[in-house]
Amino acid sequence: MDRTCLAASGLLEKVQSRSQPVSPHNSFVSSLRSTLDRSLEWVVIVLTTLLAVVVVSGFLFRQFGAPLIWYDEVAPILLAWLTYYGSGLAALRRVHIGFPRLVANSPKRLRIVLGWIRVTIVVGFFVVAAWAGWRVLEALEDTYLVSLPWMSAQITQSVIPIGSVIFIVAEIIAFTGWLKQQEEESTS
Amino acid sequence: MILFLMLLALLLLILIDVPIGVALGVTAAVTMALTWGTHIIPNVGLTLYSGTTKFTLIAIPLFILAGAIMNATGISRRLITFTSALVGFVRGGLAMVTIGSSLFFAEISGSAVAGVAALGSILIPAMQRKGYPKEYAAAVTSSAATLAVILPPSLPMIIYAVMAGTSVVEVFLAGAVPGLLGGAMLMCVAWWTAVKNNYPVEEAFQLTRVRETFKEAAWALLLPVIVLGGIFSGWVTATEGAGLAVVAALLIGSLVYRELNWSVLRAAMVEGGLQTATVMLLVGASALLGDYLTGVQAPQMFAESLMEFTSSRWMILLILNIFFLVIGLFMHSAAAIILVVPIVMPLVHAAGIDPVHFGLIVTLNMAVGQQTPPVASVLVTACSIAKADIWDVSKANVPFVAVLVFILFLVTYVPAIPMFLVEHFYR
Repeated sequence: MDRTCLAASGLLEKVQSRSQPVSPHNSFVSSLRSTLDRSLEWVVIVLTTLLAVVVVSGFLFRQFGAPLIWYDEVAPILLAWLTYYGSGLAALRRVHIGFPRLVANSPKRLRIVLGWIRVTIVVGFFVVAAWAGWRVLEALEDTYLVSLPWMSAQITQSVIPIGSVIFIVAEIIAFTGWLKQQEEESTS
Repeated sequence: MILFLMLLALLLLILIDVPIGVALGVTAAVTMALTWGTHIIPNVGLTLYSGTTKFTLIAIPLFILAGAIMNATGISRRLITFTSALVGFVRGGLAMVTIGSSLFFAEISGSAVAGVAALGSILIPAMQRKGYPKEYAAAVTSSAATLAVILPPSLPMIIYAVMAGTSVVEVFLAGAVPGLLGGAMLMCVAWWTAVKNNYPVEEAFQLTRVRETFKEAAWALLLPVIVLGGIFSGWVTATEGAGLAVVAALLIGSLVYRELNWSVLRAAMVEGGLQTATVMLLVGASALLGDYLTGVQAPQMFAESLMEFTSSRWMILLILNIFFLVIGLFMHSAAAIILVVPIVMPLVHAAGIDPVHFGLIVTLNMAVGQQTPPVASVLVTACSIAKADIWDVSKANVPFVAVLVFILFLVTYVPAIPMFLVEHFYR
């Protein structure tokens, strides 16, 4: 099954809830997963709403002859935030666009080895991204938005290191769930 | 050589199920470090951020949100009822209703996956109850939903326009005639299949029923007029048009129809956010790859080498069509556009192909790709709803996919079909 479109049709959560029962020994991971999932859901909802409000306000104010000077600068920042915080949620639910068929159809042992390689690469990339994002923040000290001079560019660009760390945590949680699922499939 | 190794590594990472966005970022960052040194690494943070701050792409979450509001407020249901009164009397009426409703839905949401999920969940079970084979029900819903990729305000068109640096509005307008033509041809195929298999009519045609359902759906039908009218008249940008779609859908749903299902809306907002994030991660990571490819002038080299092979515009279009059709088999449409379009654009310009015309060719290829396994996002969603086997549905889908391929070649080799409105209004 294609995970992205299952997610889009709302069927993925049903499939996941059926295939990943919570057991006592991984209750910590389960509660971490559900807390992170719920928090990121709200972040996504708030950012999407804000994006709609900003774009519509920008249009309306322009129509009334009082254009918002910060509109063009703030809206894309919200999109960047939605991208990286939403990506964390997508990593947690394993719905990023990919090509899962080959791994899914490979023998169990190879599948698990490939799973470990995958998680190492993903975590490695976001460790580098978090470090690079942090270096950018250091370089942006005393830099502010052009249209909102009180807003530090460090805040707007903090999404890269913070989003990367969230992605790493989400990927690891999702991977532990995936590993457990592989074990359950082989025992059933 | 290093470019070849980079593409090989990218392919390998994708095959072992590394998310394509991450695979792009990893290969680009490693290749940049190997070529220019590790001091370049902090640029990764900067590019990942700036790559996603593209104003036009804000339209993606907003159009998805508008589609979600349409579902949460019963707008989709009213569109289906109206279409049923309009075309349900024809043999195979429900298939006609599916195609007609998809045309309306496409003109607001721009997402084929959203369309198939929203309309399919109502119409596929309805078709099954009326005795249509589930494979056929899934096939017609899937192909009809794909019209959203060709018709404005298509989300793949927005992504293409940003990656190609061309006008979103012109690409939108170029899709209008081929999209409507595609809808009409799909209806013809559905009718022919219905007559052959003796599928039932949905309801007798009654002018009073059309009038009643039109009254109910009138506000919903006003949505595409407001949004597309605003965009094409230049009153709003594509992004603002998406914002307008959200507000209009919200006002019509909550004030006129007085139906707002908060739990459906909340779930749909999260799903919309997820879709946006997964596509935008690709966009951000592709900016890294773009930096590298531009630095080593890879697209120009690609253009020169292909131009040495042939300088015929039609031959180049044929090669690109085959290339995109193959890519569409294995890759999600957004990923394919983001990855390939920046590489082939210098070739497109060198061959004298209009980027707006090429945009429609690319999105049509992606429309076909969404219907052809193994990676066929829209088809898979329809199969999930119908609980049908993807290969059986693919067999039932052959005549509908043939229509899409026919439209693709018509658009490719008769540029006047997509371009005459663009030429008339914008040039």
